[in-house]
Amino acid sequence: MRFRARLASWLRGIFLRSQGEREMTAEIEAHIEARANDLMRNGTNREEALRRARIEFGGVENFKEECREARGLAFFDSLLQDLRFALRMLRKSPGFTAVAVLTLALGIGANTAIFSVVYSVLLRPLPYPHPDQLVSMFETNPEKGVKQTGSSYVDFAEWQKQNRTFSFIAAAQRHDLTFTGNGEPAELDTVVVTSDYFPLLGVKPIAGRFFTAEENKKGAAPVVIISENLWRGRFGSDPEIVGHAITLDQRPFTVVGIMPAGFRSPFFNETQDIWIPLAQDPLFSGWLERPGGHWLPVIGRVKAGVSRAQAQADMDLVSANLAKMFPAEDTGWTVHLNSLQREIAGNARTPLLILLGAVGLVLLIACANIANLLLARATSRGREMALRQALGAERGRIVRQLLTESALLGVLGGVAGILAGYWSIRALIPLLPSQLSQMQSVSLDGWVLAFALLLSAAACMGFGLAPALLAAESDVEANLKEGAARSGQGGRGHRARRLLAASEMALAVILIAGAGLFLRSFASLTAVNPGFNVAHIVKAEISLPRFQYSSPQQWNAFAKELLEGIQAQPGLQDSALVIPVPMADGQINLAFTIPGAPPPAPGTPSSADYVSVSPGYFRVMGIPLLRGRIFNDSDEATSPRVAIISEGLAQFYFPNQDPIGREIGINFPPDKSVVRRIVGIVADVHDVSLHKAPGPMVYVPYAQQPFWGSPVVVKTTQSASAVAAAVRQVVRGIDPNLPVTEVASMPDVLASSVAEPRFRTWLLGLFGVVALILATVGIFGVISYSVSCRTQEFGVRIALGASRGMIGRMVLRESLLLAAAGLSGGVVAALALAQFLKSQLYGVGASDPLTFAGTVALLLGVALAASYLPARRATRVDPIVALRYE
Amino acid sequence: MDQLDLLQGTLDMLILKAVSLGPLHGYGVLLRIQQISKERLEIQQGSLYPALYRLEHQGWIESEWGESENKRKAKYYRLTAAGKRRLQSEVEKWNTMAGVIAGILDSKPEEV
Repeated sequence: MRFRARLASWLRGIFLRSQGEREMTAEIEAHIEARANDLMRNGTNREEALRRARIEFGGVENFKEECREARGLAFFDSLLQDLRFALRMLRKSPGFTAVAVLTLALGIGANTAIFSVVYSVLLRPLPYPHPDQLVSMFETNPEKGVKQTGSSYVDFAEWQKQNRTFSFIAAAQRHDLTFTGNGEPAELDTVVVTSDYFPLLGVKPIAGRFFTAEENKKGAAPVVIISENLWRGRFGSDPEIVGHAITLDQRPFTVVGIMPAGFRSPFFNETQDIWIPLAQDPLFSGWLERPGGHWLPVIGRVKAGVSRAQAQADMDLVSANLAKMFPAEDTGWTVHLNSLQREIAGNARTPLLILLGAVGLVLLIACANIANLLLARATSRGREMALRQALGAERGRIVRQLLTESALLGVLGGVAGILAGYWSIRALIPLLPSQLSQMQSVSLDGWVLAFALLLSAAACMGFGLAPALLAAESDVEANLKEGAARSGQGGRGHRARRLLAASEMALAVILIAGAGLFLRSFASLTAVNPGFNVAHIVKAEISLPRFQYSSPQQWNAFAKELLEGIQAQPGLQDSALVIPVPMADGQINLAFTIPGAPPPAPGTPSSADYVSVSPGYFRVMGIPLLRGRIFNDSDEATSPRVAIISEGLAQFYFPNQDPIGREIGINFPPDKSVVRRIVGIVADVHDVSLHKAPGPMVYVPYAQQPFWGSPVVVKTTQSASAVAAAVRQVVRGIDPNLPVTEVASMPDVLASSVAEPRFRTWLLGLFGVVALILATVGIFGVISYSVSCRTQEFGVRIALGASRGMIGRMVLRESLLLAAAGLSGGVVAALALAQFLKSQLYGVGASDPLTFAGTVALLLGVALAASYLPARRATRVDPIVALRYE
Repeated sequence: MDQLDLLQGTLDMLILKAVSLGPLHGYGVLLRIQQISKERLEIQQGSLYPALYRLEHQGWIESEWGESENKRKAKYYRLTAAGKRRLQSEVEKWNTMAGVIAGILDSKPEEV
């Protein structure tokens, strides 16, 4: 009741302010009027009566103020007053305001943008119900040094049968199918799933249904679920599509459902057009019964109330069972459970946290800078504050007024920062490596906004409090004395400002050294020679529908016709087939054996990347032959099996021996082992990534190992699109229903393979530049302020015979001391923090002396440059003017 | 008879008492206190208002605009339930205190 009354009177006071004022005035007027009336009854005339009534009442304005206070309004009153005053002060110095708000906007904007990425990738729960129950289930084999790999379908089916702690276990793979009908043939991004996949994720179709268990059996009628985007695009939102068949790989698939546009299967790429049951895929359906493969990524949903540890124990039991059932394939293999969210964030986690740390440092520097600016203002306003105190303002009141000013700055900066963040998120998204943005949209949502607001509040407290307290402690008397405003500034204010400038320097060292390390790492990454020609190479791919082109003979015939057709085009003579294309298509890693060789030492990988090439491949790509011969046209499907091995494989498995003429057994196609004679050795190439050292590789003739897809590489001076057009023409001549896809130039392929490190390096570099600018401004501000305070001192020195050079050196020395203090602290901190970057660096140590020396030199140079102008001003002090200044 | 200055802290209690006898506007409160005290209390007229606002803010009285005896708009104050309780406890406190002080002041040498 009483609380309500108080609240009501506050609210009235705040929102019905003018009404309250009117009422108060009316009430007091009524009182005076009534009193005057009473006095008039005794015969006094009205004028005199009113005069006496007013005197009896006392100071109206005083009592009004007391009334306002009694209502608890004093706080709001002075707040409003402070705000108005702060606004006026900020308007009066637009330069200062602009710099402070911009600096703050930069810091808060960058933090908001990076945090929103971090939030959506690392923190925001996956968009499925009970996301904490979702786990990835990878097979590991510590003995063989295999960390995380898929399972075989046999293992997967046993997991489903034997587990006790999962409500669902499901699996998915990717294999693109060719769509024909409705215009140009197209390759559709296809996710191949087991029947529990959608129920596990807990999603709903917008139309139709999901797959039944029956439909994930061999021989079932083919069915497909299509994405909303495909439905709207290709099929014009045909409401009748569910129940009708579409043609995929020349086979009719009945559409049973449509998935909403927002749905993505975790792990796979951004666009997903269709989903089909695993058993109906032309490729994977052949592998269902074979134990021992590792090609199927599995996910599970743990039953409610079951802990990760319980589930892990359960799966350990199942793995032990499997090792008994399939000793040859499953011994030594266990299942590793990991949170699905963590698994998806994967490698992005560390780089993102590094970026978040870096951007936090940028904000710290920005705050230090603004604190510095505010301190400078506060000290130069010392007289004003002293005057206020002398006129009766309380200390708390002055602190509050200064805090209001900085809070206002903080709010302005925060709003500008959120806007900046909003825009930079939109700028960031296309730059983000696709793995980062695939699962969830990166956007400015409630959490991010809350983060930004919290940040700006913390920031303005951080930069506002110190100057406010310092200013309030100023000595009234000293400040009021003539001249004190100029010469009496050597005290706490200036010390605090120097401390701030030095810490800015230190923070800048951390950022610039970090950016430098990443820059060096990126430079050494891009300087890696992939081992093959990059310039003038264009790649393209033609996939064959497996139901139409079902036999290896057909694939071979097609590839031969294609290659001859392409080579007949002008300027495209230098072309070859290769699958997979290095650096573009990933790798086919297969176990191999060397008959007659002693078993390899434990821990040595006994697998190699397997590449099928046409004879011209090594010439087109410029991969040198070291020994033996390359393939030729007589290495045909029917001739003896041959292979070319990479230098690394030769050195590792045939030390001090001649591998030429020896045999190598490779487990491919999956169901049989093929023994090949080694006919040549070629140089190593990077086929997966530039930062990973080349592993052992085995090349086989395309004629002996054809695929249902034919990626071609062409060495040409023509543009990628010209090559694509020419290849398309050739393909159309062979089969008009085949799409030509994945056209790209090799330099682009290489560039996109380092897109993530490049992105990271650019961002850190940008932060480094911002830090550098802010630190420069900080040093400049402190030194030039100190020079202006010491004008008189310099005048005296010059008058007493100091040379101008000496004066200049004095100023420079002050700045260098400041920089040195900051630098030494910064280097120590940076060296410690750089250890966290170790795992992200390539070809450069975390405490790379060159980077650190460069950083120190750069910042010292910047500190000197920043103090050059103030130093010059100091040397130009005219002693007469300076002395008269007093 | 001379007018007495109001004892510190007693104005609030007097206002509550005055208002407890029936709703009053500010000037009315003044008149009633003077009338009951037979004009012996000196009250600075303006100081009534901060006190009224304070009491209202604390929820002991509430106000409403109405019409005065001479047909003018006036703000009337009325005691609330909480104000009634407050007045009661203030009166008790005052009486106890007055009794104690009177006892002390009445004491004679032989009683000590």
